[in-house]
Amino acid sequence: MSSRFDASEASGLHDGGRPVLECRGLRKSFGSLVAVNGISFHISEGETYGLLGPNGAGKTTTISMVCGLLEQDEGEVLLDGTRFTPGSVKARAGLGLVPQELAVYPDLTARENLRFFARLYGLRGEDARRRIDEVLLLIGLTERADEVSKKYSGGMKRRLNVGIALLHRPRLLVLDEPTAGVDPQSRNAILEGVERLADEGVGILYTTHYMEEAERVCDRVGIVDAGEIKAEGTHRELVDIVGEFDQIQLTATGDLAAAVRALGEIGAVREASVRDGGIDLITVHAPDVLPDVFAKAAAANVLVRRVEVKEPNLEAVFLHLTGKALRD
Amino acid sequence: MKSLAIAEIVLLQTFRQRSNYFFMIVFPALIILLLGAVFGSGFRPALGVLDSGSGPLGESLIEAIDALDALDVTRYSDERGLISAVERGRVGAGLVVPRGYDETLRNGGSAVLRFFTQPGSLVQRSAVEAAAAEQNLVFRSARFAQSEMEASPDKALAAAEQAARAVPGVGVRVTTTGQAQPFGDTGRFDRGASTQLLLFVFITSLTGSAALIESRRLGVARRMLSTPTPAVTIVAGQAMGHLGIAISQGLIIMLGSALIFGVEWGNPLGAALVLIVFSLVGTGAAMLLGSLFRSEQQAIPVAILVSLGLAALGGSMVPLEVFPDTMRTIANATPHAWGNRAFEELIGRNGGVGSILRELGVLGAFAAALLSLAAWRLHRTLTS
Repeated sequence: MSSRFDASEASGLHDGGRPVLECRGLRKSFGSLVAVNGISFHISEGETYGLLGPNGAGKTTTISMVCGLLEQDEGEVLLDGTRFTPGSVKARAGLGLVPQELAVYPDLTARENLRFFARLYGLRGEDARRRIDEVLLLIGLTERADEVSKKYSGGMKRRLNVGIALLHRPRLLVLDEPTAGVDPQSRNAILEGVERLADEGVGILYTTHYMEEAERVCDRVGIVDAGEIKAEGTHRELVDIVGEFDQIQLTATGDLAAAVRALGEIGAVREASVRDGGIDLITVHAPDVLPDVFAKAAAANVLVRRVEVKEPNLEAVFLHLTGKALRD
Repeated sequence: MKSLAIAEIVLLQTFRQRSNYFFMIVFPALIILLLGAVFGSGFRPALGVLDSGSGPLGESLIEAIDALDALDVTRYSDERGLISAVERGRVGAGLVVPRGYDETLRNGGSAVLRFFTQPGSLVQRSAVEAAAAEQNLVFRSARFAQSEMEASPDKALAAAEQAARAVPGVGVRVTTTGQAQPFGDTGRFDRGASTQLLLFVFITSLTGSAALIESRRLGVARRMLSTPTPAVTIVAGQAMGHLGIAISQGLIIMLGSALIFGVEWGNPLGAALVLIVFSLVGTGAAMLLGSLFRSEQQAIPVAILVSLGLAALGGSMVPLEVFPDTMRTIANATPHAWGNRAFEELIGRNGGVGSILRELGVLGAFAAALLSLAAWRLHRTLTS
C-alpha cells in the first residue's frame, strides 16, 4: 500500500496548503435526473484529490462544472479563491483538463496537436517551441513527435492527451479517467507523472473508478455515488469511518489448530481460522499485532513460512457505503 | 489569432485526407470535361474527308465545305481509316470524294459522293449537302452556257464560276427579341464550369462538416472551451476554416478550368464576389450540419443528398431555362439558382458587378441566415 494513504502524512502535508480549488454545494440536473446533488470539496496546492465512483456517479458532470464547461444549477466553484463560471475565460489559463475521451486530432502529429493547443493557451514563438519539446519529453513521445497520432498505441495517445493539459503549467490539473483502456506500462507512466506534478505543487483533481489508482495517487478521496459524496478523507480515515479490519494470512506448518486457539487470545484479533496450508486472522491494525502473532505461533510449535497483510481497500469502503461494487 | 489557429486546423484536417484531393480537383475537372463535351456551346462537329484523286472539282468541293466554318475537317488517306474514325466517334461523319470526280462531271456524267455517318450527325450532312448543291448549281449553269453559247466545257465552267462569284450572296441578319439565351457565343466549357463550381463548392463545404463533427465527437471542441478561449472565438474559427475550404474548392475550379479548358469567368470582381458569397452560404450550411449530427456516418449521406438535390433544383445539372415555369419558381428557394443566374450574367452576357447586385443580395441573405443559425446551434452544442 502506498504511504500516501498514511493518515498522519497525508493530513499533515496539505492541511496548511492554499486551496487551489473549492467546490461548494454543486448541484446539476438534466430534466428530472439529478446528476450532481450538493457536492463540496477542496483541493490544496500539491494535493491530489480523487473522486472515486462507478460510471454514472456524477464525476464527469462535476468536472465539467469545475472546468467551466457546464453551468451549475446551484453552488459555486472557486479557483484560487476567485469565483469561476463558464464566462471566466481568462481564469481558465490556470486550469488543465485531461478529458476522459482522447481529445486529440488523429490526423495531426503529436507536435501539431501540442502546437495547436499551445496557441489556444496563449503560448507563442520560442516559448511555445521550448515548452512543446519539454512536454514531448515528459510524455515520452519525442522520438515519434512528428508521426500522425492515429498511428500511436492507445497508451501513447493517452499520454498525448495528458501532455496537452500540461503545456501551460496549470495550477490545477483535472484528469477524468486518464488511464481508461491503456496498457500497464503507460498507466504506470501516467500515474508517475501525476505523482511528480503533485510534488511540484500542482493541485490535482483525479476521477477514476479504478480503486487501485485512487489508492496509489490520491492524498484524499471522495467516494461518489448517485451525485453525492458519500464519504471523504484519506485512505485510513475512510477505512476508519466504516470500521473495516486488516487481514493477516499466515502460510505455516505444524499444529495449526493449537496455534489458532492461541492467536485467538490476542486482544486485537477479532477472528482466527485454519485454512489449507495456513491460518487467517482478522485484526485491528495488523502491524501492531504482528509481533504477538509470531510469538504465539512459535509457542504453539508452528513454523511460519510466509506472512501477508491485507489492509481494507476502498472497494470495501465503497461497498460498505453504497451497498454496491465500484464496477456495478 | 486563436480563431486563425482553429481555422488552420480545420483546413489541415481537410487537406490531410488524401481522398479529398480526388473529390476537390480530379472529380470536378472530369465533370466539367464531360459537360463541355455534351452541352458545350463552342463545340464544332468533325467531318472526315477522303480525297482519292478526285481532281480540281473534288478539291473545290472539299474547300467549300471547310470554308463553311461550321465543321472541323480532317483528311484521311484511305477509306478504311475514315470508316474506322467514324465508328470510333473520332469524327461524326465521313465523306469520300471518288477518283475521277472532276472528269466525270466535266464529261457530263453523274458522280456519287459517299457519306458515312453515325446517327445524329446532322450538321455534317447539311454542310456536305449545301456545298454539293452550290457546286451543282455552278455546274448546271456551266452546262447551260455550254449549250447556249456553244462554248467549250472549260470556258463555260469558268464563265459560270465567275458569274457565281459576281452574284452577291443572300445576307442573313440575326436580331434578338426578348432576352437572349446566355452562353450563346461562349466557350465550350464555360457553362459547365460555372454550374459545377456551385455544385462542388456546396458539396465540398457540406462534406467538410465531417471535420467539425469529428472535433465534437472526439471532445476536442469541448477541450478548446477548457482553454482560455471564448466560445465565440471557437465558432468564428470553425467558420473561417470552413469558408477557407469552400473558397479553396472554388478557386481550384476557377483557376483550373481557366488554365486547362480556357474558361472565361467574366468580370473578375463579380466572379470573386459570387464565389465568396456563395462560399459563405456553403460555410453556414456546413456548420449547421456539423452542429446537428453526432457522427460523420450520419452527416455525409445527408450532405451529399442535400447538395445534389439543391444543385439539381437550382440549375447546376440542367440549365434553368429548360425548366418549366413552376420549377423555375421553386428553384428560387435554392442558393444555386441565384448563383447560376449571377454567373449567367457575368459569363453569358458579359455583365458587371452592377448587374448581379440582386443575386448577390439574395445569396448574402442565405449566408446570413444559415451562418446565424449555425453559430447559435454550435455555440449551444459546445456549452450545454
